[in-house]
Amino acid sequence: MAEIKSSDIPVLPWPAVPVPTPDEVYKGLSEQAREYPNWLEANVHFRDVGKKPEKLNRIRVLDCSIKMNIGHWCSSLFAEHGAEVIMVEPPGGDPTRKHTPFGRKDLMFKDSATGEAVGGKFLHECRNKLSITMNLDTAEGRELLKKLAVDADVVIENYPPGQFDAWGIGYRQLSQINPRLVYCWVGQRGQWGPLKDRPWMYDPVAQNACGFTHGTGAPVAFGGRPTRSGFWVCDHVGGTSAAMGIMAALNYRERISGRGQFVEATAAAGIMRIIDYNWGWQGMDGSVRPRFGNWDLAINIYAVNPCKDGQIMVGGGHDRLWFRIWKTVGKDRPELEEHIIEDPALKVVVDRLPFYAQVETYTTLSEWFKDNSRLEAETKLQAEEVASGGVSFTDEVAEFPHFKYRGHVGVIDDVLYGKVLHAPAPQLAQKAPPRLKWIGRPTGYDNEEVYRRIFGFKKDDLDRLKKQGII
Amino acid sequence: MAEQKSFEQYCRETFDAKKIFEKPEAFKGYVAISTTQYILGPSCANYFAELGMETIKIELPRRGEPMRHTTPYNEPFLYPLSKQMPDKGTGLGFFGANHNEYFLSVDFHKPEGVEIVHRIQAKTDIQAENYRPGTFDRWGIGYRQAAKINPRLIYIWMGGFGGWGPGRVRASYDILGQAAGGCFSVTGFPGPGHGHPAIGLPSKHTIWLADYWGGMMGCFAGLAALWWRDNVSGVGEFIEYSQVHGATRHLESALPIYGRYGIIKQRWGDWDTEMCVHGIIKCGKSSYPTSKNPQEMEEGYILVSAPEDGDFARLCQAVSNLKPLAGKYAKADDRIQPAAQTEIYTALEEWAKDKTKEDVWKFMEDNNVNSQPVWSNKECALQEHFQLRDELHWLDDPYFGDVLSQGLPYHLSETPARHRWAFKPVGADNEYILQKYCGYGLDQIRELEKNEII
Repeated sequence: MAEIKSSDIPVLPWPAVPVPTPDEVYKGLSEQAREYPNWLEANVHFRDVGKKPEKLNRIRVLDCSIKMNIGHWCSSLFAEHGAEVIMVEPPGGDPTRKHTPFGRKDLMFKDSATGEAVGGKFLHECRNKLSITMNLDTAEGRELLKKLAVDADVVIENYPPGQFDAWGIGYRQLSQINPRLVYCWVGQRGQWGPLKDRPWMYDPVAQNACGFTHGTGAPVAFGGRPTRSGFWVCDHVGGTSAAMGIMAALNYRERISGRGQFVEATAAAGIMRIIDYNWGWQGMDGSVRPRFGNWDLAINIYAVNPCKDGQIMVGGGHDRLWFRIWKTVGKDRPELEEHIIEDPALKVVVDRLPFYAQVETYTTLSEWFKDNSRLEAETKLQAEEVASGGVSFTDEVAEFPHFKYRGHVGVIDDVLYGKVLHAPAPQLAQKAPPRLKWIGRPTGYDNEEVYRRIFGFKKDDLDRLKKQGII
Repeated sequence: MAEQKSFEQYCRETFDAKKIFEKPEAFKGYVAISTTQYILGPSCANYFAELGMETIKIELPRRGEPMRHTTPYNEPFLYPLSKQMPDKGTGLGFFGANHNEYFLSVDFHKPEGVEIVHRIQAKTDIQAENYRPGTFDRWGIGYRQAAKINPRLIYIWMGGFGGWGPGRVRASYDILGQAAGGCFSVTGFPGPGHGHPAIGLPSKHTIWLADYWGGMMGCFAGLAALWWRDNVSGVGEFIEYSQVHGATRHLESALPIYGRYGIIKQRWGDWDTEMCVHGIIKCGKSSYPTSKNPQEMEEGYILVSAPEDGDFARLCQAVSNLKPLAGKYAKADDRIQPAAQTEIYTALEEWAKDKTKEDVWKFMEDNNVNSQPVWSNKECALQEHFQLRDELHWLDDPYFGDVLSQGLPYHLSETPARHRWAFKPVGADNEYILQKYCGYGLDQIRELEKNEII
């Protein structure tokens, strides 16, 4: 058989299936039942964001982070909420721009102005930002950063611990120039302490260090091994917590102190904060949390299991949902319902948590799943108001009617990059919502604009700096 | 001029955990309401409490919210659950999302309960709520009613699919967010035929990621809304956060590449699709050969990271098994190919066969290569680093005594966030809150108790 090349498969424009209309969505509902969803749509629908103000448009953020995602993720949150985010990149650009799966250059994105190729991951976190270049290896480049910091509200950086300080552009020095500056360092394990970061550590360093990798994946008995996340999850969580810290500092500065502060957030600490009950449990009796695959140690039923055409999630931690789930199963397979309901060992909620009880539960449930597709199982379970849904792949996520209707995935018609499918900011707000204005910028695209506007540079200055490799 | 402190010393002093309570709080005097259950909403309000807002968690009386009854294997509990139920405890599932809060119990279904909520809402800056969409509106305590009482209120609704659109009636949990949002589909080992020697299924992130991280996203929006209210507009607003929506935000390159090129991102196990060497390898020897705990008996795992050409050359110098590959895969673009990754990681695992993860770690540090062992929660908890940095700490809790708790995910030099206590029994602060916010006296409170309103 001839090999099929991906370029031979036609790519349909998104959405391949039309977005449902309001009439289809709310068919059969009474006026009264439609009232609340209508109010919500009128107030938070993404189509109206262009009519509304932005929250943080008085804030200027310098994102000096390179080579990893944590800083970019953090500045994305500010950019989505209206801040002016300027990415300060080394000449030639952040090396992360060139990251593309398996080095596939044919899967990169080119802009219409420079033709420079950028990887999808970087482009996705380049949203609403400006890009300038600045060579921080040179003294003159660092002087430029100092000038830029005079009128900045936030600096985010992730260079090796102490590097900016040694260069004379760390918090200690920049806060002398601009006492209102909120300065944030982000990294994997920290910029100080016995395990402080070695230069250029990337996620999953943090995933391994905080117990995440150890707890993810199937148990040994099921042929599993510790598993990292498919994305840079610690960077995402660490970046979000950094943004929370910065936002708190900005609030305090504006209302009370008039001064900025030094913020530090790490990818490891981000996940450590949110890794369930691990620490309480460990502290109580020395327990080492085991891997438990796609099941849950603390809730039964609450799991993802294989079904006819993939995997399906079903959840219901207490009796009411437990019986509804088995009632649904019983409509097709009464003997399975009977088997579970009549088992004295599974009568009480808390008795269902031990390993053997979960094995029995899910083995029985999978008997029913194997004859049902994700959609069939989901539909039957939802008829009983049980939380359920299939494991979706990217194409299914992109085409999920609910997501399309609500703008959870969207296409931006970018001036430079054309039509790009993306996940927008998930917070919908009534009066000043976050939004996507452009998807990204090629390296140094805004040099001229920013250096003229903020520094008052003339063409000669720019040409000289460019020639000397400073910008 | 005095000698300047080393940067390390400066940071240790600036972020010193022992000094946290000597510093001010970022949101002193702010009031937050948490009418939430499970994790998504509670964690959002919890982040406000850590920053100094007086956060009032309102639960249904006696049994409290469902997460109090969730704990691994149903073993560890903290007692008592409530004044009425001293022989029951609260499960550790409740632990990470309710620090520092005040606990009020109110039955929202009764008019007296609604009155209590209104009186508190009148004094509140920000509220997190995660009941089914429209429920609070129907009960008369939703945003539309509250905004009439207090136009400065910021109201964050958090939940599964959101209150409008085709899926609005669907129930959701964290794991459904991970599944429907696409997080499962890219995590774990790939199916057969993808050029990876190991095979596996889409995998769950061990943590309740869509919940806890969703709470963070809600918190950020809330803090931004406070900034906007206090500095620009003077008005509050309604924010809607959908957990399954949030999960799609994690997909990185998957959506842009699918949209333009029609390629559906798959899984790539413990290696990286964009960098090599940057993968987790198995070490042949267990670090705890005499342990009886199956979690410790298994072999060790470690991340070896040498993605740039110079790093890789250094790694090949050091690791005997990689020497033959040094020239062949000198360029990053060649190393990243699936076959090359398989060859490189196989050689590394072969080399690590007779080593523990600690052996490999030390070897890599000595050879100036980045690496990080896969630590269990126990190994992580024993690191001096995290305790020194207050990212993990023992709380002297007024109810539960010494409990090991997660610390704060970020450090602020001037207004650090902090933990005072873990949580309290259901309704523990009824009297304090009803006096302070509702103006009720003792008789009135006893009456409410008798009528099972609180």
